[in-house]
Amino acid sequence: MLDDLAKAVLRPNGNRGPNSSAILVEDISKRYRIPIEKKITVYEHLIGLVRGGACSYEEFNALQNVSFSVKHGETFGVIGPNGCGKSTLLKVLAGVLYPDSGKVRINGKIAPFLELGVGFQPELSARDNVYLYGAIMGLTRKDVDQRYEEIMDFSELKRFENMKLRNFSSGMYVRLAFATAIQTNPDVMLVDEVLSVGDESFQKKCGQKIDEIRRAGKTILLVSHSLGTVKQLCNRCLLMNHGQMVALGETEGVLAEYARMMNGR
Amino acid sequence: MWVVDYRELIKILTISDLKVKYQSSVLGFAWSLLNPLLMMLVLYLVFNNVFKNSQEHFALYLLIGIVSWRFLANGTTTSMGAIVGKPSLVTKIFIPRQVLVLSSVLSSFISSLLEFLVLMILLLAFGVKISPNILFFPAVHIVYFVMVYGISLALAALYVYYRDLNQIWEVLLQLGFFVSPVCYSISTVPEKYLFYYMLNPVTLIMQIYRKSLLYAETPSAESLVYILLSACILLILGTAIFKKLERRFAEEL
Repeated sequence: MLDDLAKAVLRPNGNRGPNSSAILVEDISKRYRIPIEKKITVYEHLIGLVRGGACSYEEFNALQNVSFSVKHGETFGVIGPNGCGKSTLLKVLAGVLYPDSGKVRINGKIAPFLELGVGFQPELSARDNVYLYGAIMGLTRKDVDQRYEEIMDFSELKRFENMKLRNFSSGMYVRLAFATAIQTNPDVMLVDEVLSVGDESFQKKCGQKIDEIRRAGKTILLVSHSLGTVKQLCNRCLLMNHGQMVALGETEGVLAEYARMMNGR
Repeated sequence: MWVVDYRELIKILTISDLKVKYQSSVLGFAWSLLNPLLMMLVLYLVFNNVFKNSQEHFALYLLIGIVSWRFLANGTTTSMGAIVGKPSLVTKIFIPRQVLVLSSVLSSFISSLLEFLVLMILLLAFGVKISPNILFFPAVHIVYFVMVYGISLALAALYVYYRDLNQIWEVLLQLGFFVSPVCYSISTVPEKYLFYYMLNPVTLIMQIYRKSLLYAETPSAESLVYILLSACILLILGTAIFKKLERRFAEEL
């Protein structure tokens, strides 16, 4: 039983056949528990037992029976209105959340860009933070050593490498994070609207970098509200609403469906 | 294997844990060594004068008990907060969450080794005869580490759901302090309770340390097997609890 649960989310295993998918999602569902009365101590649980009473939480279906697959080298978009389950889906793919049922299989090394700069410590210098962030993304010290110059070049922060991170502007912060994260050289990238970082010239640079990665045959799953970006980058799209799949297919058609859905309300 | 893949992160987190611990005050490092010595002094005064203990080298006997107890107490107490204390690494990115607990226990382990180093110096200073049995110490301390890690896994996972666990654990540790032979000799334990008393693996660990470090005796094979088995069981149990509870960490934090 425990073993089955643990296998529900299969971690990257690296082997990929010629026609295998990079991301395979089979019928996953995720329910959140919304507590009616939040109990977070043993004491409160004991009191609850003494008082009796029924179930202490409501359930909210964030994902219902979602299935799709993304081929190697494909750029895949996920769109939908706020609260439709996009972020939950991304977190399940990243391995942060576990689905209640269904299977997720990811072939290859995955880099989740859910949020940039996770784990950055303001009291450390930019250089130390690059090593820390690299380690969080699963790089060894040697990996980061090799790529350090490139990271500093890309972020244009070489001059500030010994400055403490707390003195950085938010733009510099994100640039450093993006430059480091991109160096993990993933096979599968999960991107949550991080394209909108920094000023215009840096955005352009990020766009180019992502394009470069795309052309190198990597798989990208992009969650975005910017329909322009989706139209420009993605071959195929998934439209979601209320945790369910509404449409899946060529970008053009799915975007039209989205427009119809939004107008229909 | 996650330990190998994330060794760099484990190293960085362990070192930063130690830095926080030792840099927070000027006397930081000195305090962490003075603390067990002062505690030894207090217990020595009480137990030597009030209870008239006749144990040979009683001060050092006490110190070995205190230093080994401190690894369990400090290790589990700080590691309990390992998951709750780093929410962004749990909810915003995927890393094997055991990394957080392991690096926390490792930093306590290193502190404990430093305390034992001071202990060794004191042993020499008091003219204790050092025998080759001292070589049992590193091996047994690693077994002890596995034990503390197993307990910490369970505690850190449960603490996510039950935030008053630290209060409960504090009381349990207090109890453990007195049912382990930290400050008295095992010969004072009544015969009829002795069997149950010896089931506590920490009791055996303290006994092994005292035998091999202080009295130049070889620890019994049974006691070594027993603590190895308990460490394995605690590790398996802790991992199972952690794996089960880990599934909702990101939602509960």
